[in-house]
Amino acid sequence: MVRARGWSWARREALRDAIGGLRRNGLMAAAATTTIAIALMVAGGGILASFNLAHLASVLESQVEIVGLFRRDFTPQQQQRVLAAAKDLPGVRSAELVGRGEALKRLQKTYGSFGSIGSHLKTNPLPDSIEVRAGGVGQVRAVAAALERIAGVEEVLHGTPVVDRLVALTRAVRITGAAAAAALFAAALLIVLNTIRLTIAARRQEIEIMTSVGATPGFIRGPFVLEGVLQGAAAALAATVVLTGAYAYLAVQITGSLPFLPLLPPGAALPGALAVVWFLGIAVGIAGSEIGMRRYLRT
Amino acid sequence: MINLDGVGMRYPTGVVALQDVSLRIDRGEFVFLVGPTGSGKSTVLKLIQRIERATTGRVEVDGLDLCSLPDSQVPFLRRGLGVVFQEFKLLSDRSVADNVAFALRVTETDPTEISPRVRWALETVGMAHRADDLPARLSGGEQQRVCLARAIVARPRTVLADEPTGNLDPEAAWEIMQLLGAINLRGTTVLMTTHNSTLVDVLRRRVVELQAGRVMRDESRGLYQTAR
Repeated sequence: MVRARGWSWARREALRDAIGGLRRNGLMAAAATTTIAIALMVAGGGILASFNLAHLASVLESQVEIVGLFRRDFTPQQQQRVLAAAKDLPGVRSAELVGRGEALKRLQKTYGSFGSIGSHLKTNPLPDSIEVRAGGVGQVRAVAAALERIAGVEEVLHGTPVVDRLVALTRAVRITGAAAAAALFAAALLIVLNTIRLTIAARRQEIEIMTSVGATPGFIRGPFVLEGVLQGAAAALAATVVLTGAYAYLAVQITGSLPFLPLLPPGAALPGALAVVWFLGIAVGIAGSEIGMRRYLRT
Repeated sequence: MINLDGVGMRYPTGVVALQDVSLRIDRGEFVFLVGPTGSGKSTVLKLIQRIERATTGRVEVDGLDLCSLPDSQVPFLRRGLGVVFQEFKLLSDRSVADNVAFALRVTETDPTEISPRVRWALETVGMAHRADDLPARLSGGEQQRVCLARAIVARPRTVLADEPTGNLDPEAAWEIMQLLGAINLRGTTVLMTTHNSTLVDVLRRRVVELQAGRVMRDESRGLYQTAR
């Protein structure tokens, strides 16, 4: 049995041919790369949005608390008794009293960028309250109902409905995001496939000669697959630059104008999203080349 | 050595290209394969390169049974065959030397051997002085000489020439025939399909005539057509 020369030699030759091929078919290669890059940017944007929604849901879940508002005539001693009773309720992790002054300070902190709340109010409209944290999101409703039954608690507030809706929204975004990414992947694959087909059609004679003089299918296929990889990588690089810049800019803008919205910092959100973008880019390049070459390499 | 033994070939379309063809070509022979269009000449060349597989019978090239040869070994079979096409098939964006070197480069030849072998092949066909030109600057005869250089640069045991003079004027056709004769004198087997009766009649080499996929005659010093 006869064997081909070493892999490293073949890889070097394939890389040389791939770069030569891209240079000779520059316009077509640029069109394919741009299209993949746009698809990757959209997919990357979707992934980043999905990551942030998941983060938002988990932050809100961890912050779900039950607030019991006391009647205005409730004395501190009576409030202490309610606190003790609340701590004894099943499913309660912690409970604390929050005075009306402290509540106003917290409100001011949350909306810090909107100026001083106190300067617009003659008196503090907030009542004294008790803040209770449940052991888990599933126990919030039961704890809230029990708290409401304690005498002196006028009204009970909790964010469960909002969290429920957010969790549902996150799930929907994940599913539609995955479907959109799959559709974009398929579209990018078809475009690369078509471009490589055109490239191959233009180079059919070259392939015919290679086949007739005894080049191995791996040697013939190598440069085309590498071209696909290089196009996918170039597209992923472009998408990385755009997504990183855009996310960093938006993170600053959103954090400045909507400080209560917990956004993932770029260092936490981008690595995962960009890893998927690079994987998709290179996978599209390889798959497009492999499928495009198959029909020309029948012995 | 090339040996076809009771070979039949039916294409997937149902067309029968060869029927019970038996033919033996020894090392160093020069053979004209003649016959009308559709007689099966090109199919014989395709079987020898294992572009097609015989549907019946046995095809052997240099001791290899091509019917049972694994696909992975086909490229290495082809490295022992040089092919000359009627339509030249030179790469228009590469120089004459690069076109010839291409056959070595894609078959993983030691890079240090490529340059001297290309020079040798171009000198053999008298095209060394045009090494840096693009094919478009060459005449048809010159392009076919470059194609011949590409076919012999890997020093194959056999050269298969499919109508190599079909697109050439008589003078260029003679030049190509002289070169093929010279290559044959060095021990390379030459199997050439042709419709050019003058060349066949003047050179008086072995002639195998196919008609409707069958060998009609096989003469050691034949003419294009027998007197009828």
